[in-house]
Amino acid sequence: MRSKLVLALPSKGRLMEQSAEMLAQAGLTVSKSGSPRGYKGEIASLPGVEVNFISSSEIAQFLKNGTAHLGVTGEDLLREAISDCDERVAFLKPCGFGHADVVVAVPACWIDVRRMADLEEMAVSFRRIHGRRVRVATKYMNLTRRFFSQKGVTGYRIVESFGATEGAPAAGLAELIVDITTTGITLQANGLKLLDDGVILRSEANLVASKVASWSPALRRLERQIVAQLSAKIAAK
Amino acid sequence: MAAEAAQKVEALEAQAQRLLGAFTRAGYEQVAPSIIQPAGLFLDVVGEALRARTYVFTDPEGEELCLRPDLTVPTCRLHLARHPGGTVPARYCYNGPAFRYQTGSADSAHPREFRQAGIESFAAADRERDDAAVLALIVQALREAGLEQYQLKIGDLGLFSALLEALAMPKRWRRLLRHYFWRPEAFHAELARLTSAAALKQLGVPRELGERLDPDKPEEAENLVAEYFDQSGLEIVGTRTLPEITERVLAEVADARETPLAPETAALIESYVAIKAPAREAAGKIEALQRSSGIDLGPALDAFRRRLSLLEAAGVTTSGATFSAEFGRELEYYTGFVFEIRVAKLGPKSPIAGGGRYDSLVADVGASAAVPAVGSSIHTERLLAVLSGEAP
Repeated sequence: MRSKLVLALPSKGRLMEQSAEMLAQAGLTVSKSGSPRGYKGEIASLPGVEVNFISSSEIAQFLKNGTAHLGVTGEDLLREAISDCDERVAFLKPCGFGHADVVVAVPACWIDVRRMADLEEMAVSFRRIHGRRVRVATKYMNLTRRFFSQKGVTGYRIVESFGATEGAPAAGLAELIVDITTTGITLQANGLKLLDDGVILRSEANLVASKVASWSPALRRLERQIVAQLSAKIAAK
Repeated sequence: MAAEAAQKVEALEAQAQRLLGAFTRAGYEQVAPSIIQPAGLFLDVVGEALRARTYVFTDPEGEELCLRPDLTVPTCRLHLARHPGGTVPARYCYNGPAFRYQTGSADSAHPREFRQAGIESFAAADRERDDAAVLALIVQALREAGLEQYQLKIGDLGLFSALLEALAMPKRWRRLLRHYFWRPEAFHAELARLTSAAALKQLGVPRELGERLDPDKPEEAENLVAEYFDQSGLEIVGTRTLPEITERVLAEVADARETPLAPETAALIESYVAIKAPAREAAGKIEALQRSSGIDLGPALDAFRRRLSLLEAAGVTTSGATFSAEFGRELEYYTGFVFEIRVAKLGPKSPIAGGGRYDSLVADVGASAAVPAVGSSIHTERLLAVLSGEAP
């Protein structure tokens, strides 16, 4: 049996729509195979491709362990889920949608904290006054840990947050946050501000190939064709 | 990890019994603290850096727990559970597994699951005597297990604190330097900042506010900051209070008006940190530094010398021990004497035993005030590897 190229696409929301649109414009219209409520799909012009609709964060896992050959998902999710990201996946094409910055945000009333270095000094006095470390709410534990350590910030601890992270400081669940923002309006509405050097990653959706999936020459040809058609479309824009 | 050979388990067990025998004969009570510990406490005490190396998990109730990455914090908790306040003198010993995620792949010198045998002593009044007693007992236990050749490395964070106290500078600068001591690069950068008038003058707080503040009048400053918040539409969000924010704003304003640290003072600190010498010689070097700069380290240097004599009296040869002023930089909870026992075969990255004084840890774990504490643990797999000739 000839194996197919597994393409993992987001299963819901704006990312799903935008991925489908991008592929359709490149002449790679994806249709559901079987039940319209199912999670399998196909591309009529490329019968060697099997499409799997899964959640964006699972796409990162599929690419990490090679279950999928190609996938469309946010760079933030990939870098968070895969510690040796550049060894395991190759970023083929930025898609031009799904833009989101992963940033460090603190209460706007912290007029004494504007840079990451201020954060470390603040953490020293915070611990002296409150008897515990300052808490960072985030779902990006790995990105946070790496970035803070790069910036020499150590006096904190992470509390995991899986939703409404911007509300954590006001709710007393954490003192500051690491989260994604597109416009900064939600941060502002929650009385938060960005640190001057607090952008961890400027992320967007990417077409990504797994380096650890099993690739045959035939699958590589399919990959090249998909990339070529997408590039033509992006160049034409 | 593959299953361990039964033979190795037996050998480790026999070795542990020899170590524990030495500990209990010296009056240390054997205890078995819980393997599963509350994660929050560990992360608060040892920080996020160790979280990356700790197996943290959530139980079905949603509580965050961890497999203990060492036995010192669990033993502190056990001590506090028995003696609230922690001030009753007590000595414990243990032998049991600890767990650490090893980046890259685990190897025999850095397994992710290893057994620690160790001792912890709480609330002994005579610190130097207790420091010496703990190190002497570890050396004794290692000897009984069969280790004859080793290198001893020592440090003393008390000397560093005494040096900072002896130098003229604002209290908050001492606090910062002590904080940054653990990270040489940040420490160096902070010293450079404190010696540069231009760097100190870089006011981070809004200028129109900074100009109106007087560091000597904190109450007035609080009102001015509150006023500034009103004018700029800022509201207090979260845990930090207005006085707390004002305190740091004032510190920045005060820094901008402070006389920078004299270059000689920074040089003195750097030359102290650079001292590496045989233990006895180091005491002489520190004394010379003290004399040439006209500072007084007070009782800290006497304590250092007294500890060396007590170690000799307890049978630990200190003539071969190396002192390093910056030793202890990787281990954030130590506060005073620190030591490490190494063997040439395993190299400097894999000490066989290590320990030291950690006078603030018991309070960090929950005691209402600081409790003197000193302890040490032996990495038993490494010891066995050396003794059985398996070490590379």
